[in-house]
Amino acid sequence: MDSKPIIEARDITVRYDGNTIIKDVTFDVFPGEVLVIVGGSGCGKSVLLRQVTGLELPSAGKVYIDGIDLTTAKENERNKIMRRFGILFQSSGLFASMTIAENIALLLEYYTELNEEEISQVIELKLRAVGLEGYGNYLPSEISGGMKKRAALARAMTLDPDILFFDEPSSGLDPVTAASLDILIKNLNEALGTTMVVVTHDLASIFSISHRVLMLDKEAKGIIAEGTPDELKIYSKDERVYKFFNRLA
Amino acid sequence: MKKADRNITEHFRINITGSEIIISLKETVTLVNSSDFNINLIESHFTDEIRLLTIDFSGLKSYDSYLVIFLSNLKGICKSKGIPVNMKGVNTRLAKFLDAFSFSQKKILAEQEQSGFWLNYFSNIGELTLEAFHDIKLFIEFLGELIVKLMGLIIHPPKMRWKDFPFHMMNAGVNAVPIVVLIVFLVGIISGYQGAMQLRQFGADIYIADLIGISITRELGPLMTAILVAGRSGSAYAAEIGTMKVSDEIDALNSMGFDHLQFLVLPRIVAVMLAMPILVLLADLAGVVGGLIAAVSTLEITSVGYINQLQTALSYGDIFSGLIKSIIFGFLVATVGCFRGLQVRGGAESVGKYTTAAVVTGVLSIIVADAVFTFIFQALNI
Ligand SMILES: Nc1ncnc2c1ncn2[C@@H]1O[C@H](COP(=O)(O)OP(=O)(O)OP(=O)(O)O)[C@@H](O)[C@H]1O
Ligand SMILES: [Mg+2]
Repeated sequence: MDSKPIIEARDITVRYDGNTIIKDVTFDVFPGEVLVIVGGSGCGKSVLLRQVTGLELPSAGKVYIDGIDLTTAKENERNKIMRRFGILFQSSGLFASMTIAENIALLLEYYTELNEEEISQVIELKLRAVGLEGYGNYLPSEISGGMKKRAALARAMTLDPDILFFDEPSSGLDPVTAASLDILIKNLNEALGTTMVVVTHDLASIFSISHRVLMLDKEAKGIIAEGTPDELKIYSKDERVYKFFNRLA
Repeated sequence: MKKADRNITEHFRINITGSEIIISLKETVTLVNSSDFNINLIESHFTDEIRLLTIDFSGLKSYDSYLVIFLSNLKGICKSKGIPVNMKGVNTRLAKFLDAFSFSQKKILAEQEQSGFWLNYFSNIGELTLEAFHDIKLFIEFLGELIVKLMGLIIHPPKMRWKDFPFHMMNAGVNAVPIVVLIVFLVGIISGYQGAMQLRQFGADIYIADLIGISITRELGPLMTAILVAGRSGSAYAAEIGTMKVSDEIDALNSMGFDHLQFLVLPRIVAVMLAMPILVLLADLAGVVGGLIAAVSTLEITSVGYINQLQTALSYGDIFSGLIKSIIFGFLVATVGCFRGLQVRGGAESVGKYTTAAVVTGVLSIIVADAVFTFIFQALNI
């Protein structure tokens, strides 16, 4: 891709209590692409997402969103940039005290001038997109894990974000539901051109959705491979990469 | 050559050949028959002449994780005596089993190294002290940020999420009324009764009203109420916010551009700060009535006499100093609760830990603040 990157992560280093989790991680995300981040448990994928999405400030390094430095932006400016993101958290992050509809409505009430009627139309629209029509009045505790993921996705899509981040969308889902979520991600990407950054372990979904893959490693504390899934599967000489892509799915 | 052959149990056999001790495991080494392996008895065979331990596994048929424990005990003995260990008759299945429990000598040695009660004791004290200082530093940072936001609230009230506010008022205030009233009423009775016993000796019966009135309104009312609110709302806030932290809700909130302080913390703190003085007023009333009941039933005074004396004894300063204190107590309790909740990290067990911490720190901060107030009020003659 030769367009300008929408996200530029430069030399991101994260230390917690003196432990370095990731070190000097640099990568780009281009508009409209689906970038998948893989790597073993505990290698810092969720941590990296927190830096890129502005939820945390890295110990060192920069994150540019459309050329604007997120790490030094003022709070107002950062909030404005963050509103262009939709994030699907590893544990869904739905507000437990609110119904699914209220979860979605919150953003619309704060950031748009829509009236109640229009808000409920938008909610219906988003819920239909993820196959949850009719579940608006359920509390997050009253729906299944897979439905929670989809509800969280509906919420993440509320303001039609430019970039969607997913932290293990298919973890804990059965293969069929996981596949349907993949199709949803792919459709959203193709229909709306939404840029996507997806953390996943699931080989099937890597091959079905990703344009490009980054592989992180716990020992290396950074990126050990980058390329299309086929490139990594077939050509990588690195044993860790080879093993990951050639295991039995 | 001395040859000892002592059959200790059917599960293992100890042979000593010169400077070598051979422990042969037989049949079963399992958790169920673990009582047969008396490690102290085995250790007694390790005389000063012993230079090598050989463990023979060839007779071993069935085993479970107790084998690993037993082996690490043996290795512990050898380590303390500086004897090398030799393993014999390990088949591939057993090797895999030991591997799975990562029974490497290195690991066990490392574990043995950090023993020593006193060392642990002092290093724990050190660690806890450092942690406490770290917590205090973080708390002061949090307080600073919060006070800025609270000030901002006065200029810009819409910034807080008022929608949840009535709910928090209800929870922290209205729902706390029965228990607060009951407890302070009982405290009134108890201290009234205790006071009456003393005052009667001097024939100063009527001063029971002064005693109860002042101690309840100045100290016991606000203090008991604050402690109860710390137990009810402070802990609830830590648990609620902690759970939200664990389930990524706080991150979700921040990612949507909402400030979790304005969204979650401020409504709770403001609710408690407003609820506290009201609760304390009710508590004062209940305490004074409790004192009245104790006084009338044990002393030669009437309820009218008690109330008359109360009117002359109590000044507005007594009541207001209690109310002012209670607002600050409320602020502390709610702030500590929210702060502890935000410290939660990882999983559900962390929520429990910080909920407990919320109550302990909450009560501690109330008492410290009360001591400070005592000085201030005395200096100001209130
Ligand atoms: N707030 C924190 N404070 C201290 N350490 C942290 C914190 N967050 C994460 N870590 C540590 O950073 C490391 C990476 O965590 P992270 O959650 O990014 O893993 P991950 O790659 O997402 O793994 P998984 O696939 O299991 O979700 C872990 O060792 C974790 O203990
Ligand atoms: Mg993760």
